[in-house]
Amino acid sequence: MSAIGIVSMRSLPRLRAAIRAFGFAGLALIAVAVGLSDVIARAPADATGIGPVLAPPSSQFLLGTDALGRDVLSETLHALAVTLIHAGLATAITLAAGSLFGFIAARLPWKSGVVVRWFAGILGAVPALLLAILFVGIATRDYAAIAAGLAAAPLAFSRTYDRARALSVSRHAEFARATGIQGATLMRRDLAYEFRDTFLTIAARALAAVTITLSTMSFLGFGAVPPHRDLGLMIAAARASYLEAWWVAAFPALALLLLILFARLAAALDEGERP
Amino acid sequence: MWRFLLLQAARLALGLVGAVLLAACVAALAAEGAQSGAGAYFSALLAQLNAFAHLDFGTSIISGIPALGELGLRLPVTLELVGLGAIVALVLGGPLGILLGTERPLRAAAPLLQIVAATPVFVASLALLWLAANVLHWPDMTFPVFADRGDLDSTVRVLALPVLTVGAAGAAAIQLALRRATAEAMDEPYRRGLRLMGLSTLEINRVYLLPQVLTGLCRSFGDIALALFAAAAVAEWVFGWPGAAVLFLKSVALHDWHVAALVLFVFAAIKFLADFAGELGAEALSARSAAT
Repeated sequence: MSAIGIVSMRSLPRLRAAIRAFGFAGLALIAVAVGLSDVIARAPADATGIGPVLAPPSSQFLLGTDALGRDVLSETLHALAVTLIHAGLATAITLAAGSLFGFIAARLPWKSGVVVRWFAGILGAVPALLLAILFVGIATRDYAAIAAGLAAAPLAFSRTYDRARALSVSRHAEFARATGIQGATLMRRDLAYEFRDTFLTIAARALAAVTITLSTMSFLGFGAVPPHRDLGLMIAAARASYLEAWWVAAFPALALLLLILFARLAAALDEGERP
Repeated sequence: MWRFLLLQAARLALGLVGAVLLAACVAALAAEGAQSGAGAYFSALLAQLNAFAHLDFGTSIISGIPALGELGLRLPVTLELVGLGAIVALVLGGPLGILLGTERPLRAAAPLLQIVAATPVFVASLALLWLAANVLHWPDMTFPVFADRGDLDSTVRVLALPVLTVGAAGAAAIQLALRRATAEAMDEPYRRGLRLMGLSTLEINRVYLLPQVLTGLCRSFGDIALALFAAAAVAEWVFGWPGAAVLFLKSVALHDWHVAALVLFVFAAIKFLADFAGELGAEALSARSAAT
């Protein structure tokens, strides 16, 4: 291997760590912007007639106004807050019903976890978006965040289950059992170590997945309910005028893209990898 | 080989059984009183499984025609979109994956790929629509006259944007599968040995690298199919294509559970069939490669 090759191989983990840190910094910045959205935004959420209709970006309205005279900057900030809150809830559900349950299911007695793994595989064969829409159809749009979290859970479950199965038959597990350590103690220990090392990565991955699902659901009319508009709903509403007034869709789309991009970077996802 | 084949067939059968169960769970919601309690739901579920066993998939409450007939009208549209999208995905993702896997300096393009991968399908489709309207000056393509494909120009206009949208989503999955397989194969120690034996790089790549890369691609067939169908759902909605994915969305919105269940079953079955075909293809390529 050439000297350049060796150097690049050595610097690869450092580069990955830097990219992850950049992703988390970006997410933190978004969280701060969301936290201060009521202060930064010049108008409350869904306030119409703030300015002229479809005014382009200017010094008065930095990101322009929409078809109802709403300030696009204020609306984007409010919608980003709604998106992040819903995505946070959905992420928590994915982590609990997918990752945590997957870890526990791998240690269930009488190999009953295999049946759950099979069922997760069935649910994972349907696109998460369609699964989430189905859940919303069965319940109501008020439960969109829960539906998105549950729809992303099968994939998270399968990943964690497979890793936990490998851990449960590893050498350290064999030694532990041979020395009389209880299965429950071993599981607690593995759970603590596994999640201590990977929790943030798994959470960022789930955040990327549920944000895409939630915003697409809202865009299709199965997600957020007005007046609590999220970015997907805001972009959907902009469809009527964005061909002539690009700013009404471009800025919410940019905010959404940044949120997903930072979550992907924080999760150290490969380019094109499914979150 | 027979053992492998039987194992894969068993996995496929189990997957299809699960897909039937999932579809029955959804279709059972259509039964009267099914949502009034667990007991009523389970008896509706059993009745639904019995109906499925007799190939009775119910009737659409919207159109009044059998769910199977409704799906028969819409599925070809989705399959056309997904099929054309798969071709675009191969054309875009194939060379990109191999180039990024073999040419290390091209990894500088990674940030751009991350941005593309972070773009939701609906945002990408709206961006394409904007470009078509404002740069190419095409007429509004959101609700094209679907059957109007009289000449090449109108055919291209009807197909281009939705196919590109679906193709881009598939290309991301294909380039990733190829890039990982290529990068793995490029680091194999046998390459150095073969070169010392006097084989040219082209020969090594054609005889040894290509089957290994194609094996990696085959193993990702299921994921690629899933990416294509998920993108098709959004593309059909945005571009007004009357396909099965839009049928699913409308069925769920209007609680037409028989149709929704059937669409879910077909999508899940296609994923399992793609997994099955991919595993068989990968095994055949591995066996051929080992024989070489």
